[in-house]
Amino acid sequence: MNQVYVKQNVEESHQNMKKASPVLEVKDLNIYYGEHHAVKHITMPIEEKSITALIGPSGCGKSTFLRTINRMNDLIHGARSEGEILYGGINLLTPKVDVVQLRKEIGMVFQRPNPFPKSIYENLVLSLKFSGIRDKKKLKDIAEDCLRKAALWDEVKDRLDKSALSLSGGQQQRLCIARALALKPKVLLLDEPSSALDPISSSKIEELLLKLKEEYTIIIVTHNMQQAARIADKTAFFYQGELIEYGNTDQMFTHPAEKRTEDYISGRFG
Amino acid sequence: MTSKITNRIALTVIVLCALVMTATLAALLGYILYHGLSAISLSFLTKDSSSFQAGGGIKNQLWNSFYILFATMLFTVPLGLCGGIYLSEYAKPNKLTQFIRSCVEVLASLPSIVVGMFGLLIFVNYFGWQYSILSGALALTVFNLPVIVRVTEDALQSVPRELREGGLALGVTQWHTIKTIVVPAAFPGILTGIILSAGRVFGESAALLFTAGLSTPNLDFSNWNPMSMTSPLNPFRSAETLSVHIWQVNTAGITPDIQTIANGSSAVLVLCVLGFNLFARMVGKFIDRKLTGKA
Repeated sequence: MNQVYVKQNVEESHQNMKKASPVLEVKDLNIYYGEHHAVKHITMPIEEKSITALIGPSGCGKSTFLRTINRMNDLIHGARSEGEILYGGINLLTPKVDVVQLRKEIGMVFQRPNPFPKSIYENLVLSLKFSGIRDKKKLKDIAEDCLRKAALWDEVKDRLDKSALSLSGGQQQRLCIARALALKPKVLLLDEPSSALDPISSSKIEELLLKLKEEYTIIIVTHNMQQAARIADKTAFFYQGELIEYGNTDQMFTHPAEKRTEDYISGRFG
Repeated sequence: MTSKITNRIALTVIVLCALVMTATLAALLGYILYHGLSAISLSFLTKDSSSFQAGGGIKNQLWNSFYILFATMLFTVPLGLCGGIYLSEYAKPNKLTQFIRSCVEVLASLPSIVVGMFGLLIFVNYFGWQYSILSGALALTVFNLPVIVRVTEDALQSVPRELREGGLALGVTQWHTIKTIVVPAAFPGILTGIILSAGRVFGESAALLFTAGLSTPNLDFSNWNPMSMTSPLNPFRSAETLSVHIWQVNTAGITPDIQTIANGSSAVLVLCVLGFNLFARMVGKFIDRKLTGKA
């Protein structure tokens, strides 16, 4: 019953937004931690240049799903995944995918700001230098461009050589977003990016994401329902490893099709 | 008994223990410096030691101590760093890793005299390097390596996982993440550990008795050809270090001023080790400040 509904919903959304093509196609994805079946039979397309929010109670598998998209879950001992995540026609889960290249195209920002204990500038250009860009002028330009995109340039332009740890939590998180943009990724994965921040910093991040979606595809895990309602085009509700409902955010928050979605959104559990 | 009284008793006992410890250290340090400082003079530091007349110095011993320390660090730091990085970053949590870790622990708690005997058998006799700087430094390597491995591993382990993930998520390979993010973040801890272990190496005597020897040939400080027998740089000559000198003077010395020489040498030794410790702290603090942007 559930599965069918989800599929209908997906098709419906497909028709609604014909022009936006999916950049990622998740097909029957299963993720296990040892014996534990953490994510069950997820099928969903993710549209280009939009914000998709993943919501659900703790332990529902949304972060696990997110971390599987750029194969960060490979690092966890005993984690394995089955099914397909198609990106440009390639299944990202096959062993022959070059994860280093993959992570350049699918960037990630974590829950707790994790700037490297280096200067602000070094944080931005570390991945570029690794990719072989040595030209100082070019590095500087990209760093400035990323900081502008992350709405951080005006705050830090005079102290690029200062330690990134001297920034406030919100600034650090925006630096992490800027850092992820340096490689010009197509997709940006954000794992509760503002849950460790104060409301003002949090709203700055939201503004930023709304601006970034013009260029990037954004998938965001959030515990904050209002945040999902405010910024997401599409919302997916996860519960106990299953994708319960996936559709346009407006519709989901006003007329959820599933009882459990309604209960969660209205705060009856979770 | 009320919890308030228990609390007070616990506090008293703990404070007493701390006082006993501090007092012991202060007394020891005070005794050594009180007796030793008066013996230290420029000529004491810059004169050769004499075998039977009064007024000998510790120039060669001091030089030997630093030379052996340098050679030991040259061997241990690269090896220990690599070992620590392997254990912390690459080793999978399995039986083999567990075994390597226990080996490191056992090696770290080996009595230094046993390390000295091992050095005598292997480096001095089997490889035929005789009593020499090289044999001594290698014995001290056995003695110091586990410490450096341990220090490196601990420092790397205290780097938050988020930093590693941050690096990998940027499409940077594991080795490059370790090299440019993890090791630099752990650097203050690693460096402090290395400097502190240098103090331990500097003061070590038992492991050197049978490896670096109890005597020093006549050194000519204008001869810097490392192959020459009278050169201070020659790694194949025997070398009595400062701490060995203290032991030697006290057990077999026949000069009339044994007491003065022993006191002075002890004071120099303690001051050097103290210097290492203070230096370690300063460097650690400095780097920490630089990294966190408070400076």
